[in-house]
Amino acid sequence: MAIEIAFNILIGLGVLFYLAQAIQLPATDNPADVLGAGGFPIVIGIIALIGLAMITIHTIKEKRKVDIPMLNLRSIDGRMVFINVLVLGAYVGLLDVIGFVLATFAYLVVAPLSMGYRKPVVLAVFSCVTTAVMTVVFGIVFYVPLPRGVEFFRDLSYLIY
Amino acid sequence: MDIIIQSLAAVYNPMTLLLVSIGVLFGMVCGALPGLSTSMAIILLLPFTYSMDPIMAIVLMVSCYVGGSSGGSISSILLKTPGTPEAVATTFDGYPMAQKGKAGEALGLAVTSSSFGTIFSAFVMLLASPMLAQAALSFQSAEYFGLGLIGLSCITSIGAKNQVKAVVSVMIGLMIGTIGIDSINGVERFAFEQPSLLNGINYISVMIGAFAVAEVYKNIEEYRHVDTSLRTEQKVKIKLLKFSEMAKMWSSFIRGSVIGTIIGIIPAAGGSIASLIAYGSEAQDENANPKFGEGNPRGIIAPECSHNAAVGGSMVPTLTLGIPGSPVAAVIMAAFLIIGITPGPMLLREQPIMLNAIFLALITAALLLFVGGRFVTSQFGHILKLPYPLLGSLIVTLGVVGAYSLKNSFYDVLIMFIFGLVGYFFDKFKYSNAAVILGLILGEIIENSLRKQIIIGDGSGMGFFTRPVSVLVLTVAALTFLWPMMSKKLKKGKA
Repeated sequence: MAIEIAFNILIGLGVLFYLAQAIQLPATDNPADVLGAGGFPIVIGIIALIGLAMITIHTIKEKRKVDIPMLNLRSIDGRMVFINVLVLGAYVGLLDVIGFVLATFAYLVVAPLSMGYRKPVVLAVFSCVTTAVMTVVFGIVFYVPLPRGVEFFRDLSYLIY
Repeated sequence: MDIIIQSLAAVYNPMTLLLVSIGVLFGMVCGALPGLSTSMAIILLLPFTYSMDPIMAIVLMVSCYVGGSSGGSISSILLKTPGTPEAVATTFDGYPMAQKGKAGEALGLAVTSSSFGTIFSAFVMLLASPMLAQAALSFQSAEYFGLGLIGLSCITSIGAKNQVKAVVSVMIGLMIGTIGIDSINGVERFAFEQPSLLNGINYISVMIGAFAVAEVYKNIEEYRHVDTSLRTEQKVKIKLLKFSEMAKMWSSFIRGSVIGTIIGIIPAAGGSIASLIAYGSEAQDENANPKFGEGNPRGIIAPECSHNAAVGGSMVPTLTLGIPGSPVAAVIMAAFLIIGITPGPMLLREQPIMLNAIFLALITAALLLFVGGRFVTSQFGHILKLPYPLLGSLIVTLGVVGAYSLKNSFYDVLIMFIFGLVGYFFDKFKYSNAAVILGLILGEIIENSLRKQIIIGDGSGMGFFTRPVSVLVLTVAALTFLWPMMSKKLKKGKA
């Protein structure tokens, strides 16, 4: 219950910040634009706050226990999903540094390992083939823009796609 | 009679039929792959059409449009990653059906419905094009506002477990939709001087994060404890509907197709709004078994019929008025101009064969969807046999490509990552990710139409109630919102 209330409070704080910003939006020069740039955001923000208050009261009354494995790092499942969030975060961060090919290959090796996959040969083949197929299909055949990375990695990517 | 014979000869010759097949298959592949879209598929085909006969060129692009519109549902059903924006609503019931081991049935429903919707709208396009195009022009801000509200009425069904949480979720979606430059008076809103936020947050990256990435996180927790043999051992093969099964659900087919055709005709509305409205209208049935959101076949039929019916519908204003009915129709219209044909009222008089040829191409492409669907599905079926750690990683990588390719921007990948986490927690606390997406998609049309109508009314909102079409649309919107409550009261009264 406490986690859910904390989550609702977090959303509520976000909505309050949104409302505070909406109120500060400049008025319009057009007198016919009664709502202006801030009118609609204020209305939806207030509805969201009322809804959140109702949900929080209901949560307190209901006292329902919610299991969030990601927040329980003592369990194997929790650790797995938490590590995977970190791995994906690192992948996203590295994409713009080392480029799509290397970052994707690294992700496709590390992510299954962090999920407990232990067949190194299959994993190596899967990572190589998937990275190659995605680069060829998206980058070369369909001209879909893929991240290139910086400096040396950028120059390298131009040799591939 | 001469025109009909010439039209048949123009479409039913080996070369044109080959082009229709290529168009459908290529469209389906592009639609099924997140990161590629129907518009992109047509743009990629465009250079090949420069030297073609105009009818062949248009037939190729229209076939690709039909294939792309249908293909998005494949990844929606199998991976919970909508390949195209139109396929968002298909995810709500398609993925739960696949999880129950009914992926083949779900895909069969999707292909049959897409085909039905396309054929339905093709007939409407042929028989009533000029009249419908004129009617569509009467749609102005007040009516668009009502249309947006009808779309929002979906929350009464997709958030059925907790209506208040669904409302809060939709409000959060609407709030995210207000980020960026206000299109009415150009004020910068909630962008905090970040150039990447000025254009707003694209709902595709939010959708990939909240649906696909969050689902991967959820499956990482569960896959070691769940028997995956159903998913990995069964061959994913489309199971086509029998005529008797179709007849049982005829109302869903017709309702979805009518909604899709009408919304397709309305300029700039498009298939994604059509499919959400069709899903919302279908999901009003509280006694449905299984419930909507838990794998109800009608939850696939309605949106699939609807967004493919929007294909034919969107061709109506494109051909007769020169106003594109959807973003993809805008690309096709550009292709018309490149080829040297100016869409508009004179087109039907000067090029009578063209309309018939497009009609025949739509029908043929709709029938070929069954062939294309079998091929693309069988390829995706192989992917599903991967052990989950590999499949999950592949889904995330596809999501990254899909998000990055939107604007060639790292920022969209970051949005995807953030909404992966948000979606995970929303799912745990029973908020509705689908409602967030709904708010995000419909937010712009609702706010802009509301403000435009008030500006037109010189600060007054009376325009919403003095225009007959607006009153009709708003009444339908109010009824769709209130129907679940009304039906409960009626039932209590009877008991």
